[in-house]
Amino acid sequence: MKPAPFKYLAPRSLDEALAHLAEHGYDAKPLAGGQSLVPAMNFRLAAPAVLVDLNRVKELFYIRSGDDGGLRIGAMTRQARLERDALIAERAPLIKETMPYVAHPQIRNRGTYGGSLAHADPAAELPAVTIALGGRLRVQSQRGERWVPAEEFFVGLFTTVLEPDELLVEIALPPLPPRTGWAFTEVSRRHGDFALVGAAAVVTLDEAGKCADVRLVYTGVGEGPVVAREAMALLRGEEPTEEAIREAAHKAAQVDVSPIGDIHASADFRRHLADVLGRRALTQAVARARGQAS
Amino acid sequence: MRAVGSSIPRLDAWQKVTGEAPFPGDIYLPDMLHMKVLFAGRPHARIRHIDVSRAEQAPGVVAVLTARDVPVNEYGLILPDQPVLCGPGSAKEGADVVRFVGDQVALVIAESEAQAEAALALIDVDYEDLPVVASVEEALRPDAPRVHAHRESNLLHAYRIRRGDIERGFEAADVIVEATFRTGFQEHAYLQPEAGVSYVDEDGRIVVITAGQWVHEDRQQIAHALALPEDRIVVRYVGIGGAFGGREDMSVQIILALAAWRLHQRGIRRPVKIVWSREESIIGHHKRHAMVARARWGATRDGRVVAAQVDLVLDAGAYAYTSTKVLGNATLTCVGPYEIPNVWVDARAVYTNNIPGGAFRGFGAPQGHFVAENMMNRLAEALGMDPVELRERNILREGSILPTQAPVPPGCSMPEVLTRLAEEAGWRRDPEKGWQAPPPLPPGDPCQDPERPCTSLEATPGPRLRGRGLAIAYKNVGFSFGFVDECHATVELHGDAAIERVVVRHAGADVGQGAHTVMAQMAAEVLGVPLDKIELVVSDTAKTENSGSASASRMTFMAGNAIQRAAQEALRLWHEEERPAVGHFRYIPRPTTPYDPETGRSDPNITYGYVGQYVEVEVDPETGHVALTRVISVNDVGKAINPQLIEGQIEGAVSQAFGWAVTEDFRVVEGRPLTDRLSTYLIPTIWDSPLNIQSVILEIPDPQGPFGARGMAEMPFIPLAAAIVAAVRDAIGVWIDELPLTPERVWRALHRPAEREGGT
Repeated sequence: MKPAPFKYLAPRSLDEALAHLAEHGYDAKPLAGGQSLVPAMNFRLAAPAVLVDLNRVKELFYIRSGDDGGLRIGAMTRQARLERDALIAERAPLIKETMPYVAHPQIRNRGTYGGSLAHADPAAELPAVTIALGGRLRVQSQRGERWVPAEEFFVGLFTTVLEPDELLVEIALPPLPPRTGWAFTEVSRRHGDFALVGAAAVVTLDEAGKCADVRLVYTGVGEGPVVAREAMALLRGEEPTEEAIREAAHKAAQVDVSPIGDIHASADFRRHLADVLGRRALTQAVARARGQAS
Repeated sequence: MRAVGSSIPRLDAWQKVTGEAPFPGDIYLPDMLHMKVLFAGRPHARIRHIDVSRAEQAPGVVAVLTARDVPVNEYGLILPDQPVLCGPGSAKEGADVVRFVGDQVALVIAESEAQAEAALALIDVDYEDLPVVASVEEALRPDAPRVHAHRESNLLHAYRIRRGDIERGFEAADVIVEATFRTGFQEHAYLQPEAGVSYVDEDGRIVVITAGQWVHEDRQQIAHALALPEDRIVVRYVGIGGAFGGREDMSVQIILALAAWRLHQRGIRRPVKIVWSREESIIGHHKRHAMVARARWGATRDGRVVAAQVDLVLDAGAYAYTSTKVLGNATLTCVGPYEIPNVWVDARAVYTNNIPGGAFRGFGAPQGHFVAENMMNRLAEALGMDPVELRERNILREGSILPTQAPVPPGCSMPEVLTRLAEEAGWRRDPEKGWQAPPPLPPGDPCQDPERPCTSLEATPGPRLRGRGLAIAYKNVGFSFGFVDECHATVELHGDAAIERVVVRHAGADVGQGAHTVMAQMAAEVLGVPLDKIELVVSDTAKTENSGSASASRMTFMAGNAIQRAAQEALRLWHEEERPAVGHFRYIPRPTTPYDPETGRSDPNITYGYVGQYVEVEVDPETGHVALTRVISVNDVGKAINPQLIEGQIEGAVSQAFGWAVTEDFRVVEGRPLTDRLSTYLIPTIWDSPLNIQSVILEIPDPQGPFGARGMAEMPFIPLAAAIVAAVRDAIGVWIDELPLTPERVWRALHRPAEREGGT
């Protein structure tokens, strides 16, 4: 099918884009890479009256060093660039590791970082990874700007804290502390499809080899990215032994996640995968953290 | 360069790569109208009343057609049991009932596709829902609601084979294995969904330009439904965009002709076009039959299979389509390419309210061999015997007697295929102990081996267990069970002193397999002219005589026999100075016979193609993920007319069979498909298909084949699933009896209590 009729606007600056959003409010949808929105429009699942195309807003395309030694990433940065950028590889290797799991190369050539976050698909990888990295999101409108921790950005199925006149403009990622390891893993029925379950882990060890900080975030097992708080609490301050990791992953699968069944997998199986993948992600993150320590 | 045996590029390659090749969806004629179908969208209901008045008045709508407008409201390849349009008002008994979601109820013809689509919603259909027959188990209950009310039961057809004495066979067996197998529906997922254009030409003929597999059969079905003589209908194919059996039955052919004809009668002389969406295609055409089969086989300690008993049921869905023929193939092949003295097969095809089962590459042989080859692998394990050795001791060979008690046609190369497969896969034949498997696969990551690239993008390092398995298969080339097949070809030689131009007329469809290229190669070979002198006139009922269907792996075999002899005749006339010299030949293969209803006794098939496959898999035992990492496919093609096209067929068949075996899970609940789009029905992509497919082409001539060629297109689909199941067993220690091997199914099989041991 083809989309319902809509008005197409192609601003060339952020100010212009924000003005359009302010004017059209709920009738407008920002168009980033279009890899989710356009199919939804073609299926008539979405029928925005106005499309505000951000692809000419050059000021939203960038990856640069943050003052804190972390990263500042423009919301329109293509996923393919995240995959190949040297600064990303150095400062946020978890993102580099995750990118091959995000759809197909053709989609990553067009899809954007900010678009993936703002779309808030519960099976998407980048929301979970951004939370795991402790990212903060800069949101702007004609009314001003505000910073939202990634963890608070997602409120439900395809739903974020963004107001209709607001645009996600930048992702800030803090530098990884010393002795920090990371991992991402997922299981999908077919390469490039949304995963049945995915797990992102970031672990920071203290000098004694205990967990100073742990983040474990899932995709595909709730209405948005699921932060496995109980599992994280179990590990924090503890030595991440094989047994401790096993218990934490088990806790995550039993308590933190609330998967539902669909045509691709039952809720039971997703819960099982959360257990296995949580264990694998934590195990690899810890191994990498230890590797840095030595 | 010889024409036959050369991997010349396909004649249509350039056109297809550049987008010049016309497909039905690309045809735009002046003043064209657009048509949309109102599908039933419900699995079983009686239509009490249809009111089209609102739709008729909608903007742009030119006509709305219903059952009342169909002169003879029925069609079907083997049995005219399906209404063209469901609803009251036609003479066809039971045409007011919809029996599956894809039954067609009304046609809207409008100035634009969007207007036709919008008007669909304005058709008021008053349905009385009827109880849904959702599965073969439900259908076979004595009190089951009937899918076709005038039939005594939901049984569409049954075959049986009775050979020897099955009880004495089991008594003689030292080992008996039993299992119940289930295989799922499969969607063809060809590149181009159904599409076509129709109009009435200046001679008053109804012209239908579309994509199918047999122009003359389409013409016959259209003529029957429209109550017109066949010469009033012209069917022409342009680019087909893949078929795989999915275009054997009618989809848009009759409704296109009906629309053009009815408009013409109302004085509207405008062409009509239809293009189905992917979702319409998936509910609108048939599927590979889902199967349930119980099997019990016995063998002696020295590896003689002495008894094979199979009870097999195919889900025929709402209408007959080609179910009886598919059932015939499954009946024969469910006991495999073996000479077994005691055979007892009961096979049934059963009506349900699911999407009809029908032709799909392999045509019952994949389901049949899934049973047979699983049983052989399990028997080998139970006997502690090498699976190659067990097969060799029972294999069909030259002079063997088939389960139907007729000799296998001359040219049986099953033993040669098995031997070559075993050798390629590293087996060695010990003079005393027989076939010996190579050492177990080393642990480690085969994907790191540059010689054997894997496409698997693996997650974090989890345990990955490797396994290997093999299976073999045979399948008929050409139509079976007493069907009188024919294939016409005409070869015209133009020129004076030398042959300047050759015109080959042949109706056969090039469904993407390269049939037309192969036809030109065979003509060039006989005539000794360069290929660029050959001009093909094909796939047009107005210009060619019946050449039969592009199915049953028959096209090269049948067309080759016809073209070869027509060309020889033309050459003879050329040498007698006829100008142009026109040779015509109607090839009729040797006769076959139907199954005896009691014993299954028959000479079922003209000839066979033979195949064997070895696979390696990796299984993650924690997530159940199965990756196919290596395939060896040994295929006896008799003579490779174009080796590159054959490799293409092998690689395509392997990917398609991998889909059937592992990724493709067609889900239906109460007659309603849940996977009606390609984002939910997961065909393998290039990332999932094994890159490491070794195609081994054997050329053991078939005495009946042109240049010795035998059909091959379906064969490399057939054994793969059973080989994968054996490899998964080798990797993780469990037999899985049900396809597809989704991660969840594999995981559940691993966690079944007390079923970790196979065999008996």
